[in-house]
Amino acid sequence: MSFHDWLEDDSKTILFDGGLGSELIKRGLTSGKIPDILNIEQSEIISEIHKSYYDAGSDMCQTNTFGSTPLNLSHYNLEIRIEEIIENALENIKKVRLSGCLIVGDIGPTGEFRPPVGNASSDEWYSSFSIQVKLLETGVDLWHIETISDLEEMLTAIRAVRDVSKKPLIASITYKRTKKGFFTIMGDSLEKCVETLNNEDVDVIGANCTLGSNDMLDLLKNAIEFTDKPLSVKPNAGQPVIKGDQTYYEQPINEFVNDIKEMIGVGAKIVGGCCGTSPKTINAIRKIIDSL
Amino acid sequence: MIILTGEEIFKNIVDSIVNLEEDKAVELANEALKKKINLLEVVEKGFSAGIRKVGELWEDGEFFLPELMRGAQIMQKCLDILIPHLQKGSEEISHGKVVIATIEGDIHSIGKTIVATMLRAYGFEVYDLGADVPAEKIIQEAVEKKADIIGVSALLTTTMTGQKKIIEILREKNLMNKFKVILGGAPVTSAWVEECNAHGSAENAIEAVKLVKSLLNK
Repeated sequence: MSFHDWLEDDSKTILFDGGLGSELIKRGLTSGKIPDILNIEQSEIISEIHKSYYDAGSDMCQTNTFGSTPLNLSHYNLEIRIEEIIENALENIKKVRLSGCLIVGDIGPTGEFRPPVGNASSDEWYSSFSIQVKLLETGVDLWHIETISDLEEMLTAIRAVRDVSKKPLIASITYKRTKKGFFTIMGDSLEKCVETLNNEDVDVIGANCTLGSNDMLDLLKNAIEFTDKPLSVKPNAGQPVIKGDQTYYEQPINEFVNDIKEMIGVGAKIVGGCCGTSPKTINAIRKIIDSL
Repeated sequence: MIILTGEEIFKNIVDSIVNLEEDKAVELANEALKKKINLLEVVEKGFSAGIRKVGELWEDGEFFLPELMRGAQIMQKCLDILIPHLQKGSEEISHGKVVIATIEGDIHSIGKTIVATMLRAYGFEVYDLGADVPAEKIIQEAVEKKADIIGVSALLTTTMTGQKKIIEILREKNLMNKFKVILGGAPVTSAWVEECNAHGSAENAIEAVKLVKSLLNK
């Protein structure tokens, strides 16, 4: 089955993976390094986390390449190692991928804003995304551009993917809740974002991070009004709480999973989790999906 | 030529900041200089009132990050014109000194930069040390600059422990009574502030300005 077959099968809800950062913390990797370098330095642990999500029932998991763009890596003086990082990222996920499951090429924000907030230009974004996409293209089944807070940056990333790849693409923006509804921090409304993405060459429109499952449910109910394209949701498991030197996400799994169940009912095609979710969360969602 | 009174100029300044009209704001700053209007009043009743309004609009969800940053940048540009003409320079309008940085291991600078920009716009003297700054370096700068406030940002739950380290070092060196330490970053909660024995945290840049003002009794 290909991703397109899944999209066309009305009875199929696609299960994505959950958070990576909180899994790293659990394993004591709290050094403050960019997780992408761990593809090289702790490749076994990265593979183990991917495996735990596939084993928990994810139909597809994403590569550990959220920050693997030259712009982002340059903050850590790691941009010269981008080829090695991405090569290892693909290897780490390929060796644990289960038969019938897919590998998603993960593309996160560059970390640079356009003026007046930062100094990035669209050309800089484009060339940064292009390099990442070209390096990932051979090893992935589809793409996920995620956690983008500027519609302009999203459109640039989409262009960079489409200039290289015909593979399916999920475009996920991150929104905050305001008195007037859901907006990006740059001021684009949910309606504007979804309607804009509706006219782009993307297969699925998504939202991830920032919002907990409760708010994401409301967002989904709104978003569905503006598009006929399939929708993807990856909410956070509430907000992190720090105790001592440890981080905890205290939202009970059943609360999160009940919201996800409702999102499937509303029409979410792809469901998964972002920060604070774990293989346990994904496994609980697997059971819900299988029971529907 | 229309002659504007002081009050009218103040109102026009507020409007120019809220409408994000840089040329107009700069022109009004120069006009205030030419007319020898009390510059402290120009700053307080004009530019500060304008940026406060921008902050309110942001808090209400009417303005977003680009408008907030643009407003603060226009304000800063106008202050740069006016400050050299104040009798005692920047000290006259400075409400206090702030050393601010994102902690070592963390390169997320946007939130910290917004807070720094807003604090500057509100008349604080701000030393922004950038991102990925070791705790020792932040403290050294705060001592050298005789700062009132140390602001430490961390966006990663993995780097937040660096915020605690700042306070531990200050305690070891008997410097805790010299500064107020405030924490920023999405994962920072009031429980974390308490655990670190810091002096506060804020939900956003406008709240951060209010926090700094209250800590310094301004």
